[in-house]
Amino acid sequence: MLNIFKMDVYRFVRNKTMYILLLLFCGFQIFGTFMLQQYSQEAEQGGGVAVNRLNASEFMQYTMSQTPSWMLLYITVFVVYFYISEYQSGFGKNYMSMRRARIYTVFSKMLISAMFVGLLFLTLLVSDWIGRSLFFENTTLGDLAFFVKLLIGQFLLHWAFAILILCVSVLCKNMLVSLIVGFVLALNIPGMLLSALESLVNGLNISQYWLVNTLVRIKDFNHAGETIQTLAVAIVAMALFAAIAVRYKIREDLN
Amino acid sequence: MPDIIIEINGLTKTYGSKTAVKSMDLHIRRGEIVGLIGKNGAGKSTLLKMIAGLIHPTSGELHFFNRASANGQSFFERMGVLIEQAGLYSHYSAFENLKLLAIAYGLPDANTQINKLLKTVGLEDIGSVKVKSFSLGMKQRLGIAAALLGSPDVLLLDEPINGLDPQGIVEIRALIQELNKNGLTILISSHILEELSKIATQYAIIHKGEMVEVISADELLHKCEERIELKLEKAEAAIPVLERELKIADYKVFDANTLYVYDPGAEIRQISKTLIEHGVGIDSIYKYKQSLEQYFLARTEQAGERHA
Repeated sequence: MLNIFKMDVYRFVRNKTMYILLLLFCGFQIFGTFMLQQYSQEAEQGGGVAVNRLNASEFMQYTMSQTPSWMLLYITVFVVYFYISEYQSGFGKNYMSMRRARIYTVFSKMLISAMFVGLLFLTLLVSDWIGRSLFFENTTLGDLAFFVKLLIGQFLLHWAFAILILCVSVLCKNMLVSLIVGFVLALNIPGMLLSALESLVNGLNISQYWLVNTLVRIKDFNHAGETIQTLAVAIVAMALFAAIAVRYKIREDLN
Repeated sequence: MPDIIIEINGLTKTYGSKTAVKSMDLHIRRGEIVGLIGKNGAGKSTLLKMIAGLIHPTSGELHFFNRASANGQSFFERMGVLIEQAGLYSHYSAFENLKLLAIAYGLPDANTQINKLLKTVGLEDIGSVKVKSFSLGMKQRLGIAAALLGSPDVLLLDEPINGLDPQGIVEIRALIQELNKNGLTILISSHILEELSKIATQYAIIHKGEMVEVISADELLHKCEERIELKLEKAEAAIPVLERELKIADYKVFDANTLYVYDPGAEIRQISKTLIEHGVGIDSIYKYKQSLEQYFLARTEQAGERHA
């Protein structure tokens, strides 16, 4: 397991796409903050959120609740590229005969996804700090404990989404199809459909447990119930999609 | 038999209603070079992929290294694999591709091994060049290097000389023979039968997913070497005449009416004269020489007729 992970790390750190994605994300995030500043006064006058007075946690929650989630789109591009480039080059066939390699390669890609999500969050923190200090002259952090809980919760949810995309890539084996499915998921079209279906059935409320819905919802991490629900959704999604991906990979014929 | 390192019994692979490999049996001994012969789509690559653990058999058994194993995963690590095209990252250099594999294998002296292998396959000067600028032949060489990384016991090569120039073919042939001398068991498929005939110690002829024949190089040589074919009223009656009168010991009774004489000193005129003198009826007598291609075609034709 460790050797395959080391191999993936070797690829990860030499992956130009990853650096380009992080740079693009940083640039667009700062630009997005600039655009918020442009419209903040109008929004505030219209009874909207006073973005310039939000602390770091509130600002992060506010931007993450705006769909489509750009972070999910970046995660989709990276995860699909990282997995499919190995699959389509046939490089995996060189080592896939090794003992448990099929299982380890999926777990290794999951860890690499976690590393990318971690870097994406780091970039988010830096770009938000730059954007807020430049355009709002406000770098207040707010409650540190809440901020840490928010970071952990959102990291787990985004990582779970990355595992979902990995699962999609393993099943689809095709870059274009995986990207399309990933974008559909990132745009939360299944979540919207689920909500629409719910409105037809009285008393049914399962869409709140859908991963992307949980991800974009503004959460109160000081509330134990909400924290538990967030963690449960993330962990169940991770376990479910990882299990599907591993099971399929074990049975897959590498033609 | 203790020296059998790969044992295949009743191996079958089906894709929906299509049977790619049908109940195949093959025993491979340590140190052999087994040449897989078959037309396109005969099932050679599917068989190699099943042996390599890349695809799962629908039924049948694979035993590795004398151990019956329902799950041969732990034994696959002792195999080097180059099936169809070499699986390489085009945006990485030859060295980096091998480095990645060496990391996956956990090789302690990776750089030394990689440089040695690049030299062995003749890519030492272009180890830092990206694979996307490689020719097909260079990719094949790198694929062979990748298969040899980690010093495997068995090498599975599917069309390894595809895209190689004549010099490359000679070099790869020499490399395969050298590796075999050092004890490596090699399973190799190729369309170029003449090339196979220069290295294989055993042949497995595959036709439409079925194993038509497994034959040693010596047996094949015997079958393909120049012989006098006799069609007789009764082959049995000719034996004492051949042995006593003509002193011919190297012959084979093929069936009740056919007899092959392999003795290089035997002459058609003398044989026919002596047999007639001793009252043995001859229907026909002629010299016959078969190439590996002719033998392969004859065997697959026979198999085709059986199918029909």
